[in-house]
Amino acid sequence: MIPGKYRSVSGRATNNVNCGLHLVIQTSSLPEKNKVEFKLHKETPSFPGRLLQHDLERNYSSRQGDGRVISPSPRNKSSCISSTTNVTELCGLEMKTTTSSLSAFGDSSIQTPSKSRIRQGCHSAGPNVSGDHINLVSSSMPSFPILQRSSEEKILYSDRLTLERQKLTVCPIIDGEEHLRLLNFQHNFITRIQNISNLQRLIFLDLYDNQIEEISGLSTLRSLRVLLLGKNRIKKISNLENLKSLDVLDLHGNQISKIENVSHLCDLRVLNLARNLLSHVDNLNGLDSLTELNLRHNQITFVRDVDNLPCLQRLFLSFNNISTFESVCCLADSTSLSDITFDGNPIAQESWYKHTILQNMMQLRQLDMKRITEEERRMASVIAKKEEEKKRESQKQSLLKEKKRLTINNVARKWDLQQHRVTSIAANQDRKDSDSPSQDPGQVDGSTISAFPEETGSLDSALGNALQGLSVTDTHLVEVDGDTLSLYGSGALESLDRNWSVQTAGMVTTVSFTFIEFDEIVQVLPKLKIKFPNSLHLKFKETNLVMLQQFNALAQLRRIDQLTIDPQGNPVVSFTLWKYYVLFRLSHFSMQKINGTEVTQNDMIMAERLFGILAHVASSELPQYRLISILGDARKKQFRYLLETKGKKPGIVSEENNDSKRLVGENTNRATLNYTTRDFYNEKLEEIKEKKKFCKMYIEDLVKEATEINMKNEALQKLWPQMFIELVRDAVIEIRNKSSYMKLCLQQITDQK
Amino acid sequence: MATERAGTWLPEAGKLELGSCCGPRMLSPERLALTDYEYLAQRHVLTYMEDAVCQLLENKEDISQYGIARFFTEYFNSVCQGTHVLFREFSFIQATPHNRASFLRAFWRCFRTVGKNGDLLTMKEYHCLLQLLCPDFPLELTQKAARIVLMDDAMDCLMSFSDFLFAFQIQFYYSEFLESVAAIYQDLLSGKNPNTVIVPTSSSGQHRQRPALGEASMLEGVEASLFYQCLENLCDRHKYSCPPPALVKEVLSNVQRLTFYGFLVALSKHHGINQALGALPDKGDLMHDPAMDEELERLVVRSRLHRTSRQHRAQEPGTFGFHRRDKLEALERVPSASAPTPSPYRWEPRE
Repeated sequence: MIPGKYRSVSGRATNNVNCGLHLVIQTSSLPEKNKVEFKLHKETPSFPGRLLQHDLERNYSSRQGDGRVISPSPRNKSSCISSTTNVTELCGLEMKTTTSSLSAFGDSSIQTPSKSRIRQGCHSAGPNVSGDHINLVSSSMPSFPILQRSSEEKILYSDRLTLERQKLTVCPIIDGEEHLRLLNFQHNFITRIQNISNLQRLIFLDLYDNQIEEISGLSTLRSLRVLLLGKNRIKKISNLENLKSLDVLDLHGNQISKIENVSHLCDLRVLNLARNLLSHVDNLNGLDSLTELNLRHNQITFVRDVDNLPCLQRLFLSFNNISTFESVCCLADSTSLSDITFDGNPIAQESWYKHTILQNMMQLRQLDMKRITEEERRMASVIAKKEEEKKRESQKQSLLKEKKRLTINNVARKWDLQQHRVTSIAANQDRKDSDSPSQDPGQVDGSTISAFPEETGSLDSALGNALQGLSVTDTHLVEVDGDTLSLYGSGALESLDRNWSVQTAGMVTTVSFTFIEFDEIVQVLPKLKIKFPNSLHLKFKETNLVMLQQFNALAQLRRIDQLTIDPQGNPVVSFTLWKYYVLFRLSHFSMQKINGTEVTQNDMIMAERLFGILAHVASSELPQYRLISILGDARKKQFRYLLETKGKKPGIVSEENNDSKRLVGENTNRATLNYTTRDFYNEKLEEIKEKKKFCKMYIEDLVKEATEINMKNEALQKLWPQMFIELVRDAVIEIRNKSSYMKLCLQQITDQK
Repeated sequence: MATERAGTWLPEAGKLELGSCCGPRMLSPERLALTDYEYLAQRHVLTYMEDAVCQLLENKEDISQYGIARFFTEYFNSVCQGTHVLFREFSFIQATPHNRASFLRAFWRCFRTVGKNGDLLTMKEYHCLLQLLCPDFPLELTQKAARIVLMDDAMDCLMSFSDFLFAFQIQFYYSEFLESVAAIYQDLLSGKNPNTVIVPTSSSGQHRQRPALGEASMLEGVEASLFYQCLENLCDRHKYSCPPPALVKEVLSNVQRLTFYGFLVALSKHHGINQALGALPDKGDLMHDPAMDEELERLVVRSRLHRTSRQHRAQEPGTFGFHRRDKLEALERVPSASAPTPSPYRWEPRE
């Protein structure tokens, strides 16, 4: 033992007395006992928490030492104040190690021998002094008992006084004890702190387990370092303004609902606010020395300001109401924090709890009383990384989804506009030119208007800034989802030119078209047939299917099992006969379902009954040259497409060729029922017009010539009989004189020679 | 060469011109008044000649393979049979009365089954059926026909096949005539003397017809006898086909006053006019076409066979299925190819 300076700390540490916090009041010299030093040690990191969190409140009511941060072990020459909860145990041990050398220190502060006994000094009862050493006599003020100690007692414990379990209801007047450094009023019924303002050298004041309702009467105790007010009825932290050197403040087990008036306590190292009514943590600025903060058993939902505590190492938040990491995220910014507890909070039940905490608080060494191993940390970081990835993925997904939604909206709007334009043009044409085929404007207008207002509305309201640009530029959308290829907007049709992987192409069995003019779809059907040979189910929505005739175009596909025509934007569905026509025209596919309804044998027969004659007439009564010309068109179209794709894939082309041949053969009697898109048809009409013009001229010339010839012929016919007679008469006249005629003839013969 | 053919076919065309009672080779005074060219044009011979050459041009490679003479034979045969209008463009279909009648008959033949099935359809659906036969058939004509059947304001109503067909017949076959009638009717309504009015062009007639229809219903139409006088006058100078004036007189003699649509309805329901036009059977026989029904039964049986064989085939795996399918198809096709083609499609308009 070094004289004048005792550090029982090391001794206890070796004895495995598990105290994390040692409050050592050290006196540098024997005579002067005024230099007291408190030190906070953290020596045994494996068990540091035991001291303040565990036993502190667990045995809150049953054990006397519980809840106290510090129990004093005052000695003559040096005072070692241990903050352990197990004061008895500690003291016992301490005794073992120290009794030999320090005979005077025979007991701890808690144990009775050193206690002064005070009889209840009520107003009426007057002073009742019990025990051997201390007498309480009534003071001049009738309500307060006066405490007096015997001189031996005074000498023996000159700087401490314990008035524990004395059933005091008021603080007694303590006279002639100005040198007191330690005062203990544990387990009394004191309601108000008073009569101690003269004890200006007081360092340690223990008022644990009383009925104090307000902090008061402490303003003169400027040297107070340890103030223990646990298990009282305090509602508010106040009147601590002058206690600038306060080192330990224990307010556990009170009714405090707010942390306040503590910002000046720059030396405070331990603050215990366990078992209070705190709903949140803030106002912690200025507590620059705070090392330990106990907030167990409150109703805390969020924590702030903790990152402003530069020295905070231990923070106990067990049994609160913290449910998200976001509400305590300031903890992640604290660089000093090494020990934290969250057990008993909703957050601790979450699957992500541990790794989130570990990932965000790299400085942590203990979590929920358990040391964090490297392995755990690694795991946490791995999990966190995964989580992050997942999150990013889902974000990406949702972004894509949003993008898709916006694009579809955009396409829908474009479509809408286009429809209006088309119909207005059609309407105009209708008025001017009765020959042009047109749709009924009212119908299309109605359907498009009713279909989209809410979509465009939500588009405008929900538009994210980041996505705004995108919605303007994207005019189409191609999506492969499992076995479904979805195309939105006419631009999407170009995607069929892309090089699809064999696998994707093979997988796609459903192709859905939305917001695309059917005529445009018709043009890519041959491509579709090649690129997605397994497509069996076609869906059309908002494709402007208006005529039965348009279904003819689908006949050129390889196979269709199912057809779904959404009534939205496809007026043809409102027709009574459309299903039968589809069945009739596409009978070679033996379709299974139309718009989700199973096709029955009866349907097929009905279709045949309704349209069979049309097919028969078309095939058997069409003159040969027409047959050639109609089938020729189809063939020509295919030929044109073949030319386009020839360079690329000769194998497929030849297959396609066979296929088309087979198809035509399979379907002769309705192959004549084909569909040419409106543009193509108009083109053809133009062509025909040209030809007609030429033919007209040609025929005109021809007929004129013929009629002229005919006229001449008729004129000749008229003249001929007369001419004949004239000719005969001339001949007769000539040969009438036989001899002269003979002479003439002979003459001619000799002349010739 | 073409002239020769046209010459021999000429009486056929003449026969198709309604109201002309002259025999095939008789040189009527009318005939003598015209030059050859004018005569040919008037009898639409030129139209068919032009179209034939046009068709020839269209498919000259294919046609040159099987012979140009054969082509012309087929072409004019099909014109006689009325099958030449199938799937043709509208401008050709409406070019001659014969074409119009042929189209009407083709429409009736092809979709008689729809009427037989009892389905009531909307104007739009009928229009779609028309478009199956003529892809660019204008909606306006169908609308006008529907207006005869339905009230002017109830255009989305369902119509029976026969109602639509007879109304459509009148509207389609006499469309130019009806336009002129509408103009005359309008003039009568507004109190003008239509005899002094020059027959308006079709477009102007159209314009005048519409706004005053409301008035027409208010005034309960025009006086029938006066209306007839005007119409008789019109029939005389009208260059397009008109219903026989006698029949028009019959229609108008039954009533005192009538509205324009009342007149059209009466026309469409008059079986004499239907007979005169000659494209369609009488209303009672509209669903009756035994030859086609027989053909249809054959088709239905075949389709059933086809489907069941397909289903059967679907259960069989691999190449065997294909093999079998080809065979089956061959079998199926044989009867249709060798089936006796129905008797040549001819009908005599006025018999």
